[in-house]
Amino acid sequence: MTVEQNFEALDQFPVGMRVLAVDDDQTCLKILETLLHHCQYHVTTTNQAQKALELLRENKNKFDLVISDVDMPDMDGFKLLELVGLEMDLPVIMLSAHSDPKYVMKGVTHGACDYLLKPVRIEELKNIWQHVVRSRFDKNRGSNNGEKRDGSGNEGVGNSDQNNNGRVNRKRKDQYNEDEDEERDDNDDSSAQKKQRVVWTVELHKKFVAAVNQLGYEKAMPKKILDLMNVEKLTRENVASHLQKFRLYLKRISGVTNQQALMANSDLHFLQMNSSLNGLDGFHHRPIPVGPGQFHGGAAAMRPYPSNGILGRLNTPSGIGVRNLSSPPPGMFLQNQTDLGKFHHVSSLPLNHTDGGNILQGLPMPLEFDQLHQTNNNIRNMNNNNKSIAANSMAYPNFSTQQNSLIGAPNNNNLLVLEGHPQASPSSFQGHQINKRLEHWPNAVSSSSTLPPPTAQNSHHDSLEWNNVSSSYSIPFCDSTTPGLDTTNPRAFCRNTDFDSNEQPGSFYDSLQMRQSGNYGPTTDVMLSSNSSKEGFVVGQQQKLQSGGFMSGDAGSLDDIVNSTMKQEQSQGDLSGGDLGYGGFSSLRTCL
Amino acid sequence: MNAGIAQLQMQFRDYTISLYQQGFLDDQFTELKKLQDDGSPDFVAEVLLLFFEDCVKLIGNMARALDKSTGTVDFSQVGASVHQLKGSSSSVGAKRVKGLCVTFKEYCEAQNYEGCVRCLQQVDIEYKTLKTKLQDMFNLEKQIVQAGGVVPQVDID
Repeated sequence: MTVEQNFEALDQFPVGMRVLAVDDDQTCLKILETLLHHCQYHVTTTNQAQKALELLRENKNKFDLVISDVDMPDMDGFKLLELVGLEMDLPVIMLSAHSDPKYVMKGVTHGACDYLLKPVRIEELKNIWQHVVRSRFDKNRGSNNGEKRDGSGNEGVGNSDQNNNGRVNRKRKDQYNEDEDEERDDNDDSSAQKKQRVVWTVELHKKFVAAVNQLGYEKAMPKKILDLMNVEKLTRENVASHLQKFRLYLKRISGVTNQQALMANSDLHFLQMNSSLNGLDGFHHRPIPVGPGQFHGGAAAMRPYPSNGILGRLNTPSGIGVRNLSSPPPGMFLQNQTDLGKFHHVSSLPLNHTDGGNILQGLPMPLEFDQLHQTNNNIRNMNNNNKSIAANSMAYPNFSTQQNSLIGAPNNNNLLVLEGHPQASPSSFQGHQINKRLEHWPNAVSSSSTLPPPTAQNSHHDSLEWNNVSSSYSIPFCDSTTPGLDTTNPRAFCRNTDFDSNEQPGSFYDSLQMRQSGNYGPTTDVMLSSNSSKEGFVVGQQQKLQSGGFMSGDAGSLDDIVNSTMKQEQSQGDLSGGDLGYGGFSSLRTCL
Repeated sequence: MNAGIAQLQMQFRDYTISLYQQGFLDDQFTELKKLQDDGSPDFVAEVLLLFFEDCVKLIGNMARALDKSTGTVDFSQVGASVHQLKGSSSSVGAKRVKGLCVTFKEYCEAQNYEGCVRCLQQVDIEYKTLKTKLQDMFNLEKQIVQAGGVVPQVDID
């Protein structure tokens, strides 16, 4: 059975492919989520990179693909990209509003398998499953490669040295198909349900290092190392992949002024970096881009790391598309000096901020957000996390159960175990989602959506508060006394707010507060107590929804919504520094 | 009654087309509409709601960042919020807002304070204008539905 036939057997794929979407922008996240649903993927969303990492670390087999925005306040998207590639070896697609080729380049060099520009179109997303296939295909090929080399080493070595990756891979495809079957059978036999994963403990690693030293670093070959180590159940592939990592690690370390790590704690340091990379039965290699002479490496790849910055990373394995042979001939490792994407812990900062600095000059650095913004986001996210966990998880009841069964199922890395997925009943699911979301509408910000609802009470409580807190917002700003703006007084657009044009900001806010809280207090109760809105309209105040109208025109719903959401925003702002906002605007006005 | 529905539908169609012609909306909005179906009948409205929330938040951030009373203005911070607004506005098809963001971003990069403040004001006005327009559009939809009609699909050339 060929690889293709294997995939066809799981003919649900790409339907139900499990995607983790990360974007701090809730609008974009929502759109992305819907687009992915329309592609029939199973989607988990979060607006925090940290949360995404947690989800992935929890169980990396839970996802097939990660899509992440580039600019996120809590973590640079590129860093997330590297971490995911390093720890979980999942394909990652970058998403950004930056069309600047430098960003695209950065994505490539950090290991993204694709880079999409916002606004994302559904056509682009319909094909992203190819990255998952490619990733697995290459892993399989990698492990076969090892087998072959032992037997008929020359052929493989010779080819890889000279040809470009693509051709080599294609030529050997047929051979691989056969071998893959064998390998798979072996694997199935040896490990009942799961693959045995080799845990590279400190001791084991020490043996490994000792063996390498004994053989001589340059000459160390997996087979010989394996023999020297003399550890039961350790396979040549395990050693080979570990060796590759080790070499990359050393290259990376040597390129950074982190000599201490190299000297004192290299073992531990190395292992920490690779903490999640245990047991590489297959080879979890990042793809090495096609390019003549990449295996020769030669001068091109031998540039010292720091100055290499972006360019050198063209030769990194974190290229797009083509996967490398898993245990390349010995000389190759030396040339992968620039394959440092994997060990970003050490070098990502320098890359971003010093040597990468010339690239990023003048571009906004997401990491430079001040405390206020950070706190705002954190608080907002914290508040919203609980709510939307509740909301979304209830919205996806099918998903969680199915996911569990999936996790329990045998899932070695060679097979795509993507069983029939929750998309089977889209309509019921959607309705469910909307009904549930009614309850949590004011709090419906996308966050992690796969956890079971911890506390529904939280969301009620929060939404009550949300509706009753007023604002210190920029309305006076747009209402500033610049003459030109009088005729187009923005307040005129707010149809239902009876603001006086010349109101002082202070009293303005008070009146806003009094008015709005009056409006929304009782409304909120109504909204929360009765979830009887059958139509499932999330938008618009809840009391209006009971009439079944789409958006009740009684009070200019969209407007009120926005006003109320403004208050939500403002309440969040208040939590972290309301004074600043208010005070700031009056001074701003005087400036104008 | 049917005449009434037809009239509403025509009104809706004309109004929608005018929004595109005046540059308030672009293709991306059309794409969003395509994603709306029986399974998610309020998708567009939901997304726009989120978008307007984002506007509020981001404009607030920008205003705070441009607040000179706290010290020097951090243009990169302003730029980051502008960038995000650009991303979300382009994702929903808010063409004018997005266009403003492009200009705004340039001012940020040039560290042009007055330019930034002007852009901020304009962005604020612009998103509110859009909000009103869309509100009217949704209201028309609602009226059609309530009158028993079907909201027509509007093809924009």
